[in-house]
Amino acid sequence: MMEESEVKQTFWSEHRFMLLIGLVIVISIVLTIISMFIYTSSGAEQLDLSRPGYISATDEIDDNDKVTEYSSTGAVNADTIKEFQKLYNAQVDSNAKVDAFGGDPLNPDVLEASADSTTD
Amino acid sequence: MKLALPILTLVIFAAVIFVSTNAHASLTPEQIKNIQNNCTNIKTSLGQLQIADARLRVNRGQFYESLASKLMDSFNSRLSSNKIDSSSLVAITSTFRSEIDTFRADYSSYAQQLSTTIGINCQTKPESFQDSLLSTRDKRTKVHQDVLALNQSIIDYKNSVDTFATNFGQVKPTGNQ
Repeated sequence: MMEESEVKQTFWSEHRFMLLIGLVIVISIVLTIISMFIYTSSGAEQLDLSRPGYISATDEIDDNDKVTEYSSTGAVNADTIKEFQKLYNAQVDSNAKVDAFGGDPLNPDVLEASADSTTD
Repeated sequence: MKLALPILTLVIFAAVIFVSTNAHASLTPEQIKNIQNNCTNIKTSLGQLQIADARLRVNRGQFYESLASKLMDSFNSRLSSNKIDSSSLVAITSTFRSEIDTFRADYSSYAQQLSTTIGINCQTKPESFQDSLLSTRDKRTKVHQDVLALNQSIIDYKNSVDTFATNFGQVKPTGNQ
């Protein structure tokens, strides 16, 4: 009995560093899989323009937030309402200029026609 | 005789499943040939659209979030802290925020479908490719409708603020003036 116990202790003491390394690798793999799952399922992946193939898109991202913040504190009077309207209407006008996701670029006829013109 | 009805039901059920799993957009041989011949160029166009739409999604998303937090919420808070009724503006802001969530979810669904479409080999599976393309097109149309709904809320908020400004003289605030 004593001999067996001594053999076991020797085994653990000899390999515990390797076990530690192995455990760390397993934990890091599990955490990486979980984080990749969250990255994909949360939709963060679609906003990540640093992905391969999307680098060119980052050049045209509006880095500067063009919406000027309106103070949430202070009095409400004709001047402060006018100030808000000025800030807000500027954004309404800029938004009106963008027809986001409009058109029909996925119409098979349009796609084939554009493909034809590319071939030509 | 007793087994006839269950067997008939089973056959109809199997037929429905077979038809639904093999249902493809009906393409003429000429259309199939067109897709196969232009496969590479169509995929290039889809790839360019994928990048352009990803960029648009980021820019629009930032804009809508900023508009809601920096302008709508701030103005609502200011009215509220001055004890002025802002319930109509708060309601529009709430609608706007839920529309942003819908836009986000629908774009996600569209982007995944577009990736799936690009992944289909249009030379060997032109019909599957066409099915997936049409599905992607529908999802993009849905995203566009979400954008139109968001734009409408932005206009609604503006109109409400204009009405509020016009009637402001008649409103008697009880807060610090």
